[in-house]
Amino acid sequence: MKKMFTFMLMFVLLITACSSESDSDNNDTTEDTNAEQTSSNDATETKEDTESGKTEVVFWHAMGGNLEETLTTIVSDYNASQSDYEVVAIFQGSYEEALTKFNTVAGTSDAPAIMQTFEVGTKYMVESGNIQPVQKFIDADSYDINQWEKNISNYYNVDGTQYSMPFNSSTPVLIYNKDAFTAAGLDAENPPMTYSALKEASQKLTIQDGSNTTQYGFSVLNYGWFFEQLVAVQGGHFVDNDNGRTASAQEVTFNQDEGLNVFTLISDMYNDGTYYNSGTSWDDIRAAFLSGKTAMYLDSSAGVKAMVDSAEFEVGVSYLPIPDGKEREGVIIGGASLWMSSGLDEEIQQGAWDFMKYVSSAEVQADWHLQTGYFAINPAAYDLDVVKEVWEAYPQLKVTVNQLRETKSSTATQGALISVFPEARQKVVSAMESLYQGADPQQALDQAASEINRALEKANKLSGN
Amino acid sequence: MKRKINKKRITRSSFGAGMLYLLPSILLFGIFLFYPMFKTLYLSLFWTDTQGNPVQYVGLENFMYLFESPSFMTSIKATLLFVLYTVPVGIVLALILALLANENVKGIGFFRTMFSSTIGMSVAASSVIWMLMYNPAIGIFNKILSAIHLPELQWLLDPDYALISVAISTIWMNTGFSFLILLGGLQNIDERLYENARIAGVGTWYKLRNITLPMLSPTLFFVVTVSIIGAFQSFGQIDILTGGGPMESTNVIVYAIYKDAFINYDVGLASAQAVLLFFCILFVTILQFKIGERRVHYQ
Repeated sequence: MKKMFTFMLMFVLLITACSSESDSDNNDTTEDTNAEQTSSNDATETKEDTESGKTEVVFWHAMGGNLEETLTTIVSDYNASQSDYEVVAIFQGSYEEALTKFNTVAGTSDAPAIMQTFEVGTKYMVESGNIQPVQKFIDADSYDINQWEKNISNYYNVDGTQYSMPFNSSTPVLIYNKDAFTAAGLDAENPPMTYSALKEASQKLTIQDGSNTTQYGFSVLNYGWFFEQLVAVQGGHFVDNDNGRTASAQEVTFNQDEGLNVFTLISDMYNDGTYYNSGTSWDDIRAAFLSGKTAMYLDSSAGVKAMVDSAEFEVGVSYLPIPDGKEREGVIIGGASLWMSSGLDEEIQQGAWDFMKYVSSAEVQADWHLQTGYFAINPAAYDLDVVKEVWEAYPQLKVTVNQLRETKSSTATQGALISVFPEARQKVVSAMESLYQGADPQQALDQAASEINRALEKANKLSGN
Repeated sequence: MKRKINKKRITRSSFGAGMLYLLPSILLFGIFLFYPMFKTLYLSLFWTDTQGNPVQYVGLENFMYLFESPSFMTSIKATLLFVLYTVPVGIVLALILALLANENVKGIGFFRTMFSSTIGMSVAASSVIWMLMYNPAIGIFNKILSAIHLPELQWLLDPDYALISVAISTIWMNTGFSFLILLGGLQNIDERLYENARIAGVGTWYKLRNITLPMLSPTLFFVVTVSIIGAFQSFGQIDILTGGGPMESTNVIVYAIYKDAFINYDVGLASAQAVLLFFCILFVTILQFKIGERRVHYQ
């Protein structure tokens, strides 16, 4: 009897072990080939699954916290507005995490219909071969993309093809403490626009108490995005071949004059004791500003509204500073766009496209802009009364929009197109951090450049360019 | 003749039964341990595409690159330093606490619970708490430093202090576990040995050196081995506290593997590092068994 029991137990174990094995096999090999055959079945199945007979459109996003709440409202509004499609929004963690998850299911029937990917993942997505450029639907629908903000949609336009639909876009701005400006005898309505003005203001804003500095003048988050922006605003390229837009980038170019200007500024100010190293966490730099540790810092325009709300002092917002004598080129858009998976049932793709059109309408964009501080990708939103009213209360939001609209469209402000962007950003951050250890700005840049060049070379070899 | 065949049949059938008994564990090990291990070894010899599929056989080029890369050397240095910072201090601290908690006084249960309480904290939750305490602008540590008129420190932002800061929080997290195991070991020591010692009238130090530590040595050996392996594999607190920065000073090998595989999508390079880490831990563990176990006194 006991023997029987053991045998049965083993048998059960054997079966579960085997079935899990064959499951994973399925995932690896057969799913690819099955994807097309089963996708139509899936579509009919899901049709039956949803009570109302709607086609299910899965949407993976990386919007956490209050952004997720806003997005969920938009999605449920959309689902209530029509009876053909049911969009299911699923939060998949940070941009990096979401992309990693997408990577494992891309090209299979488990892939989401709509995928939100950050701007630096653009080249990666294009090369993955598992996405459907939205240009196909723009053409089929004769959809007018001129209603989108040109500076935003340009980023996702590669070789004349619109690959993805811009969704949440932000740019960097200078945020400053107006009360601290007044206390230091500076004009709170006239924030520094050039490097020399920035240095001068920072010197006046820095307050020392014995050996400790209680208030620093200026701070930049150790994050590659800000460096890219500070280079682009001077008209500088991040990589060669016109930022990788005319041909695949072979080498980085940020270690030339424009990049050196930025690094020299940071290095000089840090050595002067007027610059605060706030690390790599967005929360930390915002806490430093709110607690008065630094009087000026760079932030994303998407953080403006929350900052104005939570600060106990008057908050000012201004453009990115530029070196003296340089002409202002403008900012690169940041944020993310919506991508469509390829190999899906036609009807699911139609649903995804329909949702994308809904999201880019002026009304939804106005709501999105006001709730989050992200830009409206459809500028018609700014003419709506709701937006005008909020702008009265938060004039700071308007500054962010103006900075974007004054941007000149060029390959510098279109942003770089490379597949090894995450790695490049890590190297730039390391280089920034080495400045605080007294590294020479040019050497720090060259060190990062040579490491990124190797990554570029390897990526080019692998993709056959 | 007949008997011989019978015997053979018995051995064969008992071998079959033995295999059957082993089958579940062999299957589980095979699927979740051996297959991934060999796959890692295989991938480490390739350049891979972004989805981790091998594209081009490159032999040992991934390894050659690692040995020349200053970044990998920093990783190795950070890993070894991290083990050095966390393991000895953590175990000595746990041992002191365990010796204290082993005394039979009123209310000792409260202290035993307190000392082992960190075992119930997840790495992620405790890391977030430590991150707040380390925050240079609003954290408690800098508030204390400035209250006693010492210069403030950039705990997690200064490459000279970042690894130590992470190590301090790791010691705090791991002490609960070591404490619990060591306390269990102490409770198992035969009370009569101490009675004899009392009759002989020997001092406290003598008792500790000649009774407690030798009797505790199997437990200590276990704790040391497990702690070293754990320190080599620390990930969560580094991911949350520093993300491998500043200037890669806390970029321990496990974190470098994660970054290469899941952020830079360079699975080949990550696999090569995983293989090196495997041999590294294997070597240290063998060394421990060869040298450390000689001093272990089994009852």
